[in-house]
Amino acid sequence: MKNYNMITPEGTKDLLFEDCLAHRYVERTLTGVFSSRGFNEVVTPGLEFYDVFDPDFSGIAQEIMYKMSDRHGRLVVMRPDSTIPIARMTATRLQKQRKPIRLYYVQQIYRSNPGLTGRRNEMMQTGIELLGAAGRRADLEVIVTAVEALSKCVPNFRLELGHAGFFRALTAQLPISDDLREDIRSSIESKNYAALNTILDTLEDSRQVDAVRRLPRLFGGEEVFAQAEPLCEDEESSATLAYLHELYQSLVELGLGDRMIVDLGLVQRNDYYTGIIFSAYMENIGDAILLGGRYDKLSEQFGSPMPAVGFAVNVDALAELLLKQGRIQPPKAVDILVHSDSGYEIKALQYASQLAGSGYKCESSVFTTREEALAYARAQGIRRVDFVNGSVETMNGIGEKV
Amino acid sequence: MKPLRIALTKGRLEKDTVALFETIGFDCEAVKNKGRKLILPVGEHLEVVLAKAADVITYVEHGVCDLGVVGKDTIMEYGTSFYEVLDLGFGRCRFALAAPKGSDFFSGYASKTIATKYPNVARNYFESKAMDIRFIKIEGSVELAPLLGLSDAIVDIVETGSTLRENGLEVVETVCDISARLIVNTASLKLRKAEIEELVAQMEQATQEK
Repeated sequence: MKNYNMITPEGTKDLLFEDCLAHRYVERTLTGVFSSRGFNEVVTPGLEFYDVFDPDFSGIAQEIMYKMSDRHGRLVVMRPDSTIPIARMTATRLQKQRKPIRLYYVQQIYRSNPGLTGRRNEMMQTGIELLGAAGRRADLEVIVTAVEALSKCVPNFRLELGHAGFFRALTAQLPISDDLREDIRSSIESKNYAALNTILDTLEDSRQVDAVRRLPRLFGGEEVFAQAEPLCEDEESSATLAYLHELYQSLVELGLGDRMIVDLGLVQRNDYYTGIIFSAYMENIGDAILLGGRYDKLSEQFGSPMPAVGFAVNVDALAELLLKQGRIQPPKAVDILVHSDSGYEIKALQYASQLAGSGYKCESSVFTTREEALAYARAQGIRRVDFVNGSVETMNGIGEKV
Repeated sequence: MKPLRIALTKGRLEKDTVALFETIGFDCEAVKNKGRKLILPVGEHLEVVLAKAADVITYVEHGVCDLGVVGKDTIMEYGTSFYEVLDLGFGRCRFALAAPKGSDFFSGYASKTIATKYPNVARNYFESKAMDIRFIKIEGSVELAPLLGLSDAIVDIVETGSTLRENGLEVVETVCDISARLIVNTASLKLRKAEIEELVAQMEQATQEK
């Protein structure tokens, strides 16, 4: 039988040295911002019941979840998303807590992507959730936190703004089946103008049909709002558009004008977003590095309706970018190697602890002879070796007394 | 400014796209006399990458190419997430279900066997008909499979239908029509909107003029 004990499964990887430094740097920087804005850390289990992620409302297809059964034969999955379990946790365990509730997390998610595409199946995410708060103030707070956190890691990114309710309001007036609505949605999502036109040509011409036809092209700067306004026939789509515009203007006032894009054709898969949707993009990264939005109906699934908004950041992508830019260096050699002559081991350990306590990075030698210790120090680039016997002799890395 | 990078499917789609670029007025000399080079400049603002069809999708999806020209057949078989912004109109053909002449493919209750180069396309097609089918992937001339008795029918690309006729097969049903498409990486469209929209508009206009 073939043995797989020397490799890791597809889509996973070991993180070594500077990889870890880069990951921890990104996590520390982002969570530092979250914490400074009053968000507190939570961790949800890596294993959850499949029912928590019911594809009907989670939008997570069953084939991308890693599944197994527990000892009672119930289906469990490896956490494919963090927002849903946090909604579960808040709805069940923090019902009586004073709202709003501000939470942040740093944890892996697992998704079984199609093979050989180079995608990760184990992804590190960090993000925040602001639960129990509706409206513009909450939306702004979360977007501003996203921008502030990302800016501390990477200077240039674009922030994209959309609204899940806009498409829903526009198509609510159309006399179409749910299947057809889904076809329309997916061709808008992929900006497939040809397919969208083919579908819409089968419908009777109306202002709404015309509005839907233009939806995928409605993205860009502030001019988008003026282009979209005449297309809104009903109250709901006008109100949604006006809200988004107001939000946009507030963000411009905060100095984000040059990095914002509006995309009214941002129509996500059947997922849990109900209000604003936002994401961040960077050059040289083919996918969004941050994704978030308002999800007012999710907590309801767990018995405790409450409005909420949040986002998740792709930590792996940011860490890789920092490494590529040479902003994270491999770990350096320690300052001092402490070697004990025979019989002085305990004294040397105490001495090493003292050095470490006063801020030096030091290693204790595990070798028996001074020659071996010196050879090791040379190979590792350790520039000072302290020999402990009755006293302490200090030598430099090539064995000269100093 | 870094040039936009566009991946072209080597062969006929590459030639048709180059012709389209020339209609727009781009200088395509480098691509026409490419030798063995795979990355070539076109005009000042564009860089062409030549790749196999499925790889065009891979490069665009990962964002190492901003745009790509690839057949709808390849998108249906391999595509996941990118923008499909333009039907270029060339490279027209269709996916079809074909069976030996005179056989009634949809009759009877015995489950059928299909040979195909495009298992995902075939699977989606029969799933939409709620039919359980045994699929066998064939790499070369798929028409052989029913002739040798390996399968009941095939799902394959049909242009004129002459290969089918010469081998005693006939089209049972068209699965869908195919043509070349212009695809765009999601992040690229957001980050370089103006440049990409200009190129798409030029290509769209040139397509209509042809």
